[in-house]
Amino acid sequence: MSTFRRAFLFNGIGTKPEKLLNVMTPQMLEKFLSYQHDEFRRLGLSEDLSENAPMDRIAAEWLISLISDRVVYEHYIENGIIPDIGMGHSSGIVSISACFGAVSHEFAHEIIMMNRATMRSLSESGEKQDMGTIIGMSIDDVNELIAEKHFSADDVMVGSANSRICTMISGREDKVTELLDAAQEAGAIKVIPFKIGLAYHHPIIAKHSDEYVRFCGSGEYHAPEYPVLSIFDGRIMTDGEDLKKENQINILNPIRWDLALKKLEELGVTEFYDVSANGAIGKFSRINKRKGRIYTFDEI
Amino acid sequence: MREITEEIRQEIQDMVLDYYADECEVDRDEITMESNPQEDLGSDSLMFVELIEMTAEKYDLDVKLQSIGKYMLKSPMDTMKDVIDMICKIYQYGNDIVNL
Repeated sequence: MSTFRRAFLFNGIGTKPEKLLNVMTPQMLEKFLSYQHDEFRRLGLSEDLSENAPMDRIAAEWLISLISDRVVYEHYIENGIIPDIGMGHSSGIVSISACFGAVSHEFAHEIIMMNRATMRSLSESGEKQDMGTIIGMSIDDVNELIAEKHFSADDVMVGSANSRICTMISGREDKVTELLDAAQEAGAIKVIPFKIGLAYHHPIIAKHSDEYVRFCGSGEYHAPEYPVLSIFDGRIMTDGEDLKKENQINILNPIRWDLALKKLEELGVTEFYDVSANGAIGKFSRINKRKGRIYTFDEI
Repeated sequence: MREITEEIRQEIQDMVLDYYADECEVDRDEITMESNPQEDLGSDSLMFVELIEMTAEKYDLDVKLQSIGKYMLKSPMDTMKDVIDMICKIYQYGNDIVNL
């Protein structure tokens, strides 16, 4: 029998706060508000998001995703759903590091706040970056389009192969827009520009993220309570040092979520638990439905 | 082109309405032909892709998403009626939908 049956999946940032909070039970929401109150006060953020300075507001919205993950994670644990392994998509790595006990929640939140340093550096440079999602195309379809249209990998590339029907791209803003337009023309079901001003999971962000990467490496990391699968190379990580490296390389490297999910299936995982409150990760993840199932917190 | 009977059309309509009711967690009775899938029901494009895949499996269709995507440029879907018509066209034309 496989050691790994249950996997917890952590989503990255980017979901609007109301989409997470509106689906929580009253008890979960109460817990969320208590965590949020303490952390926002500690970090000098206003709970009224509109009162924050622009970059603080973005960081505050992203923190809400992490705090929401924590509440959903604790809901699963309190209901006896214990993971055998876990995996985090993009900043979901920060989230899983905290929930699985490799770092404190406070340190995880400070990592999220450090994104402001990256935003500041980019803003000062005048460089324009962006990301986007192409629905209805696989990584191979998108790479074919990149080759056909002669885009350079330095300008735009696949930032995350989420599944055979959902591919995220990242790079220079003008090239991201051009590639999204080309994908639409080539028959994508939908293209979505993020308009986030950052090219996470593309090497061009490296020169603006020194401070972020350094900060990720500055904290104290412990062995996680449960193993974590790397979304970059499919390694099973069981010690703190592994998690530290994963956090440090996270925003600079493209993700193979599709392959990592496949690896979980090969390891014998049949129950996937979506830790995002609104089931976001289950929507873009594709598993073999004959063998496994993705659960959301409201189904348990 | 594949013939579509009234019976199949009704079956597709039921399948689509049941699917959106289930996925969007709304009563089927609340969904009308004029409902906007995204604004009124909170659905998204990934949900639509899953519906296409479900349809292809149910009716053993070989259809590429990109053929449908190209057709959607000419014929956007604003209502549930549009979605049902689209699925019926996919049933009838498969990849040739792109030539309509």
